Amino acid sequence: MQLLDRIRLGLAVGVAKIVTKIVRSLSLGAASVLPGEISRRLHPRLLPLLFEQVSKGVILIVGTNGKTTTSLLLKQILSDRGFAVVHNSSGANLINGLITALLNSTNLTGKLIADYAILEVDENILPLLLQDCQPKYILALNLFRDQLDRYGEVDTIAQRWGKAISPLSKDTTIVLNADDPTLCSLGQQLTQKVLYFGLNEPELYLEEIPHAVDSIYCPSCGHLLDYKGVYLSHLGDYQCPSCGFAKSKTALDSKEYPQILIGVYNKYNTLAAGLLAQEMGIETDDIFQTVKNFKAAFGRAEELEIDRKQVRILLSKNPVGMNETIRAVNKIKKTGKSPTTLLVLNDRIPDGTDVSWIWDVDTEELVKLGGNLVISGDRTYDMALRMTYSCEKIATDRTNFNLIVKENLQEAIDTALEHTSTTETLHIIPTYSAMLEVREILVGRKIL
Amino acid sequence: MKIAIGWLYPTLMSTYGDRGNVICIQRRCQWRDIEVEVIPLKKETTPEVFEGVDIIVGGGAQDRQQEIVMRDLQGAKAEALKNKLDRGTPGVFTCGSPQLLGHYYEPALGKRIDGLGLLDMVSKHPGIDARRCIGNLVFEITANPIASELAAMVGEKPIAIGFENHGGRTYLNDVQPLGKVIRGYGNNGEDQTAGAFYQNAIATYSHGPLLPKNPFIADWLIVKALQNKYERAIELKAIDDSIAIAARKAMLQRLDLFNVLATV
Repeated sequence: MQLLDRIRLGLAVGVAKIVTKIVRSLSLGAASVLPGEISRRLHPRLLPLLFEQVSKGVILIVGTNGKTTTSLLLKQILSDRGFAVVHNSSGANLINGLITALLNSTNLTGKLIADYAILEVDENILPLLLQDCQPKYILALNLFRDQLDRYGEVDTIAQRWGKAISPLSKDTTIVLNADDPTLCSLGQQLTQKVLYFGLNEPELYLEEIPHAVDSIYCPSCGHLLDYKGVYLSHLGDYQCPSCGFAKSKTALDSKEYPQILIGVYNKYNTLAAGLLAQEMGIETDDIFQTVKNFKAAFGRAEELEIDRKQVRILLSKNPVGMNETIRAVNKIKKTGKSPTTLLVLNDRIPDGTDVSWIWDVDTEELVKLGGNLVISGDRTYDMALRMTYSCEKIATDRTNFNLIVKENLQEAIDTALEHTSTTETLHIIPTYSAMLEVREILVGRKIL
Repeated sequence: MKIAIGWLYPTLMSTYGDRGNVICIQRRCQWRDIEVEVIPLKKETTPEVFEGVDIIVGGGAQDRQQEIVMRDLQGAKAEALKNKLDRGTPGVFTCGSPQLLGHYYEPALGKRIDGLGLLDMVSKHPGIDARRCIGNLVFEITANPIASELAAMVGEKPIAIGFENHGGRTYLNDVQPLGKVIRGYGNNGEDQTAGAFYQNAIATYSHGPLLPKNPFIADWLIVKALQNKYERAIELKAIDDSIAIAARKAMLQRLDLFNVLATV
């Protein structure tokens, strides 16, 4: 680094640190974005310079669902082995948020003290980021339909990722979900080292392909893909009968792998973090140990105890996520230990302002098992309407489930808890901003 | 009585909860003991199958999927669909599917895509940097005769509430707009027209869960379908729509329109 560069970097870092202090001391927020914005103005090549200083390398994690949980697991695996790890744990995953996270681990001269940096990156930002930053690893989890009002369509995103990754040097290793045809096809076109994770457990196949599916067409020739079975959404065992495109061989045997938390989702998250850790040279036994002791990130299958009752919060922000949540909840409902579910639908910017997606969720599955469904959120009645239309029987003839509509979230939570005994678990299914509100009510403090 | 819902390309054209319209019609039939069948109209479907459906539902597609649909919906299949709509089969086309019915769609990049040419209208994307039309959409249904028929059903001016998200802009020529924009962009954000109306088919940029929140439109489609099929007047059993009414009220209040529209 040139002397002048070093001085500018020091200046940028110093200012950022002061800004962070000011923002926090005035209680203006968590200071997870603004310091990055200001320091980037002071040094436009700040992010690449920070990247270079992470001694063992930067790991970028992208995907529609599972970024936070996977990052957290990987971070835990690495920390348990004694490595210093930086992570944008506040979930701020745009450029300024990444810079802020890295700056928090620098000293006053701008020297970054970290072995690894794990950065959750927004789908749209990856190409921009790769223009001048070279990560050591890129981990792509999945691509689902999510907030099309903000992100655009799945195909477009995959194409842009491919274009951005291919010019990178061979020093970058890519870890991909082989069960996602779009990502697998992307990997097959790359010249860098690519590793795949995926499931090999036909007993987990869904009975039919769910409606909320985007990519059942061959990414290379457009022909309908031939699926032996799907694990969730469009993730599965497939091949193209027309051009021969098929799922790449995976590096791990999923049957032999333990998993964190509940649900098929978290199976994928575990395999992803596990494979990457293994590639970094960490022993399988050590990985398994961390997997065993893993605690959820806030709102992601997080378990709380409220009034001696078990509460599990399952963030669900898009059709695939909610379908999987319902699948996991139903498995527990069938044991008779979870008669009540609370759904909270918000439509703020982090949730997506369009709530049409709830019609792509198979809420029929949730209603089928009956019990109490408490509904709340900014769009309480839209969600209640979706539940009503999930029943073949007209409201007056329904006997198996009890729909309780409460606009006020506090009342909704109280009601849901009243309908849960101390031997039962209340499941709460919120969108993102709703999850923050639910947690604030339950835990009594803000997290962001 | 029995109704067959023809659902255009369910796996290709169902981007924004468009299934909501199908579910709504299906349930409102089931709740009234009207037998109902959903028939997917997909690539493998023969033109004869189009003949057998009583209501046609179409939703939005991603660009690649839209192209597959446009390539498939030609020749005998296109004729079959045109014939149905010409002869008054009720239809609801939401999100991107209205573009299919017009003369053409000019995307931001790439070549003009020909539509069925059934409705005298064209759609153009003003360029990749142009702002998308995104947000809640409220419009008064004004087209004839649907407006007066709906007014007779609900006892007041028919107001539709939905959500729109489109890059393309649609311009109408010799075809009735479905309604007049009260809040939102509508067809193009310029002339306050919302959607289009042709025989018994409605088209709008509003996303697919249009009908659940505007159940009177669903019932209108069902009545038209049964009247066509059984050639007699149809009276539908009333359904408790209190949740839909609450959802409508909540949105109108949020948009500061509840009192405005109530006093009109």
